[in-house]
Parts: sequence; structure tokens; C-alpha cells
Amino acid sequence: MPFDFHFIVRLIPALLEGAEITVELAVLTFVICLVWGLLVALAQSSRGPLAWIAGGYIQVVRNTPLLIQMYIIYFGFSMIGFGLSGFLSGLLALCIQNGGYVAEIYRGGLQSVSQRQYEAGRALGMRRWTLYTSVILPQVVARVIPPMTNQAISITKDTSQVAAIAVMEMMKVAEVWVESSANTYDVFFSVAVIYLVLTSVAGAAGKLSERWLAFAQ
Amino acid sequence: MMKTFAPLLHSYWYLFRGAGMTLLMAGASVVPATLLGGALALVHVFGKRTARSALQVYLFVVRGIPLLVLLTFVYYLLPLTGIDLPPFWGVVVVMSLYYAAFMSEVFRAGIESLPQAQWDAARSLGMTRHLLLRIIIFPQALRLAAPPFVSLCVNLVKATSLVSIVGLWELTMASREIVERTLAPFQIFLGAALIYFCICYTLALYGRFLERRSLVGH
Repeated sequence: MPFDFHFIVRLIPALLEGAEITVELAVLTFVICLVWGLLVALAQSSRGPLAWIAGGYIQVVRNTPLLIQMYIIYFGFSMIGFGLSGFLSGLLALCIQNGGYVAEIYRGGLQSVSQRQYEAGRALGMRRWTLYTSVILPQVVARVIPPMTNQAISITKDTSQVAAIAVMEMMKVAEVWVESSANTYDVFFSVAVIYLVLTSVAGAAGKLSERWLAFAQ
Repeated sequence: MMKTFAPLLHSYWYLFRGAGMTLLMAGASVVPATLLGGALALVHVFGKRTARSALQVYLFVVRGIPLLVLLTFVYYLLPLTGIDLPPFWGVVVVMSLYYAAFMSEVFRAGIESLPQAQWDAARSLGMTRHLLLRIIIFPQALRLAAPPFVSLCVNLVKATSLVSIVGLWELTMASREIVERTLAPFQIFLGAALIYFCICYTLALYGRFLERRSLVGH
């Protein structure tokens, strides 16, 4: 397959513009999920109705497709009066879906800290807040980094689905260029390479933070 | 209440037919993905260096590119290559190749998490490699790999919704068609989500059952 370099030179800036939105979506989703997922995981490890709700939420979002959640938010909410933009609907759906996965990662991390450490902290007269911030969570952070890195990569890939609700991120830009130019190979080769670069950067950032934050081990 | 959900009550049968197609597509993809994934895991554990590095490249590419990009690629590419393959099978090929990479990781982790002592013990009993693999390694590795394998299957079922973007007919496409007719996106997409949930949650429960069983021991 011969590459048309003049075409690619014109194509790349347009794709990078789309990639900017892809990165924005991925970074926002990841940061929001880090907080939201932790809240859900803590709620799930508590006792009472909150734990039940958090568990139900995790099961529901993990067992339904992101695309359907996105359609419900994007089309459904505009039907009942308060429509959200494509970007916001996509962001919301990405956060709702990945929040479930991130919560499960935190839960695994929380469970991997031995029960004795909680008991020891309490025996020393630590408050709940001190116990969590200075004993439990530093260890959880170190243990969840590898799975979180995978989740960041998967979020980056998931952002491509936002193309289905007409957000001009990289995938949508690519589709427009394919339909208007018919240089299918060039477009998809370029898109694939850019996605590979983005996911590799996410992977490398995960490796780096593993080195910086793994002090607690 | 009844009136709000009337569009869903009128068209649930169409959604069920879409769900049938979703299951067919997932089923047709999961079998070759599992076989290929198993073969790739064997290459990773026992293969020569060149084969292993080729596998690494394959895993890197598949893990770094969204499935949607590959599906769209095939959608635009197949007509150009002159290969006379129906879109359904094009999707099945892409999904199999894609999920085989993740399956291979799951199987590999299953094999590699067995302690070295098991290999040594079996060898010291004079077992041939074939026998060692067949009665010691594979049964335990498969038991360990079963729960993550099932959650990959859940992901695969969810991923079939992507083919609606490239114009294939299954549950998500069916619900979009009904929405275009009835203009009731909330109800219809909720209905579709419910069907997906029933399929995936059943699988997930089965995965949890397998996990509990594998913890009990043999």
C-alpha cells in the first residue's frame, strides 16, 4: 500500500486537533474517576444502605455497554428537557462507566491491606481519618498503580466511542477524512499510530509514578 | 407509567431479536479468540525468542489501538481489497484477533502463577513434558484463568455494541432504529441496557462462582 505523503502532511494537523479533544476527555475522565471511584469504594466498604447502593452501581455500570449509557445520557436527557452537549454527555458516560472499574481497583487495594493494620492503628489510638491517610491509603496507592495504568489506557481507547454522538475527537475527524478523501490506508495508519503514542505515554506515565510513589512498599 | 413505557412494550420483541444477534456475534467471536489466545499463551511461555518478540509487538499494537478504529478500518477496507467477506464475518475476525491478545495474557498469567516447584516435582517424578502439561499444569492454570476469562467475555459482549457504529445490526442498532421511529430514546435505550445487563450479569455471576470455587482448592 503506497502512502501518499502529501496527503498525510495535510491530514496530521487535523487529526492532532481531534487528538486534543481525545486527550482532554481521557485526562478529565481519569482524574474525576480517581476521586469518584475512591468515594464509591469507600462507600462499598462501609456498612449500611450506602454499601448496597455502591455495590449495585458497580454491577450496573460494569455490565452495560458504554455506548448505551452514552445514548441514554445524550438522547434521553435532551428528550426530557435538559440536553447536554456531546462532549459533556460523553464525559459523563465515561466517568460513570470507568468509575465502576476504578472503584473495583481501589477495593482490591483496600482488601490487600491486612486487617491487622487497622487493628494496630486503632490500638495506637489513631483517629479514623489519621489511620486512613497515614497508614492505609499510602499502601493502597502503591498497589493500585499498575491496574490504574491499565485503566488509563483503556479510558484513552474508550474515548473513541464518543465519536458516535458527534463529538469531533480524533476518531470522528478520521471518519470525516476517510469519507471525503477515500485515502483509507493513510488515515487509519495515522490514527492508529497516534493512538499508540497516546496509550504508550499513558503507560510510561504509569511506570514513572510507580517508581515515584511506591515508597510505601 | 404504562403510557411512558408504551414504546418499549410495543417493540420489545425487536430488541430480543437484536439481543439474539448480539449473542450470536459474541459467541462466534469468543470461540476463535479463546483458541488463538490459548495458542499465543503457549507461544509466550514455551516459544522461541523471535516468536515471543513478535507476540510482544502484536500485544502492544492490539492493546494500544481502540477496537472501534479496527472495526471502522475493516468496514472501509473490506470493499477495497476485493475480499468477498460478509460484514458479519469481518467483525468476527477483528473481534477474535483483538480479544485473542487479552485472552493470551489471561492464560499466560494462569500458567506463570503456578509455583516453579510444581514443574520440578513433576520432572523429578520422571514425567514427560506432555504428561506434565496435561495432568499438572493445564488443569490448574485453567482453573486460575477461569474468572478473568469470564470477565473478558463480559467485555466482549459489551464490545459487540460497537459494531452498530459501523452499521451492523444487533441489539444497539435495533434500539437505535426503534428510537428513530418512536422518538422515545430514554425508554428504549433503558430497555436495551436492561437486556445487556441480564446477559452480562449472568456471566459475571458465573465468573464469581468460578472464583469462589477456585479459592476453595481442589
